[in-house]
Amino acid sequence: MEFSDAIWVQAAAFLGAAFSVGFGAIGAALGEGYAAGRAGRAISKSPELSGPILKNMLIGQAVAESAGIFALVIAMLLVFIDTDGRPLIDAFAYLGAGLSMGLSAIGSGLGSGFPAAEACQGIADNPPTQAAISTNMLIGSAISQTPAIFGMVVAFMLMFVDFTSQPLWPAWAALLGAGLSMGLAAIGSGVGSGIPAGSSTLGMARQPSAATAIRTNMLIGSAVSQTPAIFGMVVAFMLLFIDWSNVPPWPTWAALLGAGLSTGLSAIGPGIGNGLTAGEAAEGVARQPEAQGPITTTMLIGQTVAQSTVIYGFLVSLILLFIQQEPSHAMTEWVALLSAGICMGFGGIGPGIGEGIAAAYAVRRIARDMSQNVLLTRVMLVGQAVSESTGIYSLIVSLLLLFVI
Amino acid sequence: MEDLTIVPKWILTLGGYTLEFNSETLIMSWIVMGILIFFGWIATKKISILPGPYQTLAEVMVATFEQLVADALDEGNRHYFPLIITIFLFIWLSNMLGVIPFLSEPTKDLNTPLAYGILGFFIAHYAGIKTKGFKAYASEYVQPMFFMAPLNIIGELSKVVSISFRLYGNIMGGSIIIMVVSHLVYNLVLPPLLNAFFGIFVGTIQAFVFTMLTLVYISVQTK
Amino acid sequence: MAIEGADLVRAAALLGAGISMGLGAIGPGVGEGFAAGKACEAIGKNPKEAGLLTRTMLVGQAVSESTGIYSLVVALLLIFVV
Repeated sequence: MEFSDAIWVQAAAFLGAAFSVGFGAIGAALGEGYAAGRAGRAISKSPELSGPILKNMLIGQAVAESAGIFALVIAMLLVFIDTDGRPLIDAFAYLGAGLSMGLSAIGSGLGSGFPAAEACQGIADNPPTQAAISTNMLIGSAISQTPAIFGMVVAFMLMFVDFTSQPLWPAWAALLGAGLSMGLAAIGSGVGSGIPAGSSTLGMARQPSAATAIRTNMLIGSAVSQTPAIFGMVVAFMLLFIDWSNVPPWPTWAALLGAGLSTGLSAIGPGIGNGLTAGEAAEGVARQPEAQGPITTTMLIGQTVAQSTVIYGFLVSLILLFIQQEPSHAMTEWVALLSAGICMGFGGIGPGIGEGIAAAYAVRRIARDMSQNVLLTRVMLVGQAVSESTGIYSLIVSLLLLFVI
Repeated sequence: MEDLTIVPKWILTLGGYTLEFNSETLIMSWIVMGILIFFGWIATKKISILPGPYQTLAEVMVATFEQLVADALDEGNRHYFPLIITIFLFIWLSNMLGVIPFLSEPTKDLNTPLAYGILGFFIAHYAGIKTKGFKAYASEYVQPMFFMAPLNIIGELSKVVSISFRLYGNIMGGSIIIMVVSHLVYNLVLPPLLNAFFGIFVGTIQAFVFTMLTLVYISVQTK
Repeated sequence: MAIEGADLVRAAALLGAGISMGLGAIGPGVGEGFAAGKACEAIGKNPKEAGLLTRTMLVGQAVSESTGIYSLVVALLLIFVV
């Protein structure tokens, strides 16, 4: 069943388009639906404000839609791209582009729905603060779109950079891995940036006088939540731009795919966990603006520890990318490399979310009572350190698979 | 992009064994030691009621950490305070060193964080045995049931792995990100921002987290 | 490229080890984090009982760890024993 390269490339382009818009539709729809639901509830509480609430909902939904629009653009480009005379490696580039854009759009679409929803609620609660609420919603939603933008950048690179200098094996795995790394990592960060945007918007309705403090806190919290997506993007760039001509194709292809999965998957948990912490911090600052200092400090400490598992995932990715493999077709060799990436990848999800939850509760408590700052930070660190254990076990099993097999 | 796996080494052959030392890490560590010793000397040269700038800085740091240690540890164990503040200062200064051109962080090499992690581990367990006596210390490993002993031991060892790898990963990961992104934007605009974020911001927080966790491990063992 | 039966089995074992520890780390991570969070909240409400509450949290987390340990044991068995 011999097909010319152009046929495979065309097929892959269509498949990539499908992934892009298919995954991309999930996030935007969920986010917008959530916003619409909260808007309905807000309108039922205050029917006379239905005008402003509806307007805010539509604006917020439009921003959440952007992720879906990016995904549609990439899909359109992939459907109509001219595949005549393209080398086979472009098939994997297009597939990776679709995955990168589609998966990133899930997180950002969902994340941008939160500020829209909370803005509608806030307007119903406190109508005079409309302007401040809308502004904050727009800023927060825009920040939440950043991971989708990262995904789009990587997708464009995959589609338009000339990869003919790379050998088909193992570069196909590098391109696919780059798409997965960026796409998966952006899911967590997208949601994680949206949660504090939402909480801060609601907080601004509750306490308009503390607007600056709330917004500062949200910006810091959201920015830190985006670090896992940055790690995913860096791994994607390394996979795209390192010259793979001098490495043995087998089993390095498995190492490259594993590198993409390791950082990509392990970034989901910390992204969401950091977002939960930042959300509680924004709400806490709204309740007690005087406590901003201890709240922000504890939030940063908690978020930093919650990011540990994406660091471990990044480390495993670096090992997979840069340690020279012995050329070998043995099945155990390449499966071990792939398995190491999968192990650390999935293993990073749980502790990331759990440590984020622990930090969220600690921050919430500190907002109520500033003086317990030091005690609660200590308890939070102990709890987070124990939650990390299974992440360490995953790291150990990954290292065993890499170095002992 | 430079080959990341080439490491400058010093080789020493002793009695049939070949010892390899990472020269870059050692030299940077000596620089950090030199700065700390120099700072200690300057701050205490003329101790007076009206302090000069170095003495004020030293007093602020000492006061902050003494408060942290007093909160965490009981009376009998407060003498670990100098250790805690030294760990913080060394790691913090090490992380900052990467921002200065031509210098790199000693914590970029896994050996440094691992050394501090193992140090903290031994100190914590030594403090535990000294405070509680060996029997009480050993009986904790068989809580709540006898066959949990190997799992408790793995848990203790994983604490060392976690704090060391967290510090190493953050610092080395940050330096690689700075290198890759700077290379991609042809060193325009972004590198100072990245250095500020990953070098200064992350470096400070990681140093603080490492120190706090070491303190917490000591306090958990002694209570 | 003929794959030997023994090779396939070994490869499947290694893949299984990765999946086992990878997926197995998700649950305990979230659960123990939740326990830590609730402990922070409880200590915030009642700081005098910090010692008791911390110990309770650690015991609870150790028990929640069990399934994570099972995953680790199976992963190690798959790598080293079979």
